[in-house]
Amino acid sequence: MSAARTLRGLGGIALVLLAWQGVVGSGLATYDYLPSPVAIAASVPELFYDRGVIGETLHTLGATLAGWGIAVAIGLVLGALLGFSPIARAWGLASVELLRPMPAVALVPAAMLLFGFSIATELVVIVIPTIWPVLVSTMRGIMAAPARLEDVARTLRLGRIETIRKVLLPAAAPAVLVGCRLAMSTALVLAVVAEMIGNPEGIGYAVVREAQALHPDLMFAYVLIAGMLGVLLNAGLVALGRLLLPGAFNRPSAVASASAP
Amino acid sequence: MTRVVRASMPIFELDKVSLAYAMTSGGRARERDGRREVLHELTFSVGAGEILTICGASGTGKTSLLRILAGLTPQSGGEARFRGAAIAGPSEGIALVFQDYSNALLQWRTVARNVALGIERRAAGADVRRRVADALRLVGLENNADDYPWQLSGGMQQRVQIARALALAPSVLLMDEPFAALDAMTKASLQDELLRVRQETGASVVFITHDIEEAVYLGDRVAVLRGSPGRLAAVLDVPLAQPREQVTTREQPAFLALRHKVHDAIGRRA
Repeated sequence: MSAARTLRGLGGIALVLLAWQGVVGSGLATYDYLPSPVAIAASVPELFYDRGVIGETLHTLGATLAGWGIAVAIGLVLGALLGFSPIARAWGLASVELLRPMPAVALVPAAMLLFGFSIATELVVIVIPTIWPVLVSTMRGIMAAPARLEDVARTLRLGRIETIRKVLLPAAAPAVLVGCRLAMSTALVLAVVAEMIGNPEGIGYAVVREAQALHPDLMFAYVLIAGMLGVLLNAGLVALGRLLLPGAFNRPSAVASASAP
Repeated sequence: MTRVVRASMPIFELDKVSLAYAMTSGGRARERDGRREVLHELTFSVGAGEILTICGASGTGKTSLLRILAGLTPQSGGEARFRGAAIAGPSEGIALVFQDYSNALLQWRTVARNVALGIERRAAGADVRRRVADALRLVGLENNADDYPWQLSGGMQQRVQIARALALAPSVLLMDEPFAALDAMTKASLQDELLRVRQETGASVVFITHDIEEAVYLGDRVAVLRGSPGRLAAVLDVPLAQPREQVTTREQPAFLALRHKVHDAIGRRA
């Protein structure tokens, strides 16, 4: 990205903040609990003195990464199984299509009944819905690999395992990466939701706590932190992808499809 | 038609080879009426070291024929033998070059690692590196070993695929319209490169094309497929001296006469 584009992007954000500040400061908006951006910024030091913002952020970050990691592992294995095996698709695809549209948040009460107010509840709430994007894009990525590649593998007389490892899985890698990125944003959302309802820790709980204590400036500051966490996680994942898949990820067409969502 | 008697054992022998697909409707294969025949009773052989070009309009089963020779698709009738043994799957010594190079190359592997794909498991590291370097030199890509396929032009990508085939040290190269997607100038230079590679390696070549001039220019013999299902319409010897030359060879009366014959064999309407 060019410096000029970065500058224009930041300019857009500045304009939005300016408008917000103007609306609140001029008294156009008369909500009692809508603080101005300046007031939110002024409350930030308090997060560090009176609140455990570092510990809370680390909790949410840890839960998101752990839940995402478990979901990616499960999604990769199941997605590969469904992608490679027509039998697995015949038996499993209907279940996937049935479970996938289920609203993720509906799981929270069920998880709470089973595991109480605990990290286990939080992880269950994160993991199950986060599996889907990984599973589906892994399966689609494998099935979308050009049939020609199978011909190539056969004429070069590669074994079945060698074909999967060297040809079909790498061909699916850009799609898998897209799934992993979608899964990361899902995982963060669910971590915050789970902390609001099911596990009183981390950023999600802090947002609810500050709202109930009528500290809207601190509440918005926490919301901002959650947003920045999402940006950083996504950027980290993109960097990791470039590192792991130098050939696949830098290809113009692969970048176009991998950065679409 | 005069038959040339060849001293050495043929590489491929086909005896009344037919191919029919069962047409499926609603997932059920029908008994008799649902079969569509693609190739009908082809009988010919490919000699050691020769270039046999197979020419025909689209829909005459050229690619299906090549897939049978490659062991990718089993024939449904007749006998097909490679070096005297019935073909039952891809055999060692046969390399295949596809038309759609961008699908056939592993876009995430460098040129050198694409070329190594078929041999890296079977040979030692130093041996693999030497064979990859030799293959890349044969197609003039020695300076592109570390590039990715998507960084190369179409002609260069097709050269990578040919190098990957040559790295196997094959006794036969099967080529399915390999130059059809390339511009005229790239096509001409790759044609000459193929003739040179044949000269250096002694490999036999079965070359599918719908381009009559290409069939005559490259071939030691030209086989013509015609109709649907495809039948062998003619097998013609090419009385042109080697080495061939893009301008002068194509001006020779013998070239033009054979071009005419092939054209007639293909038929005006296909």
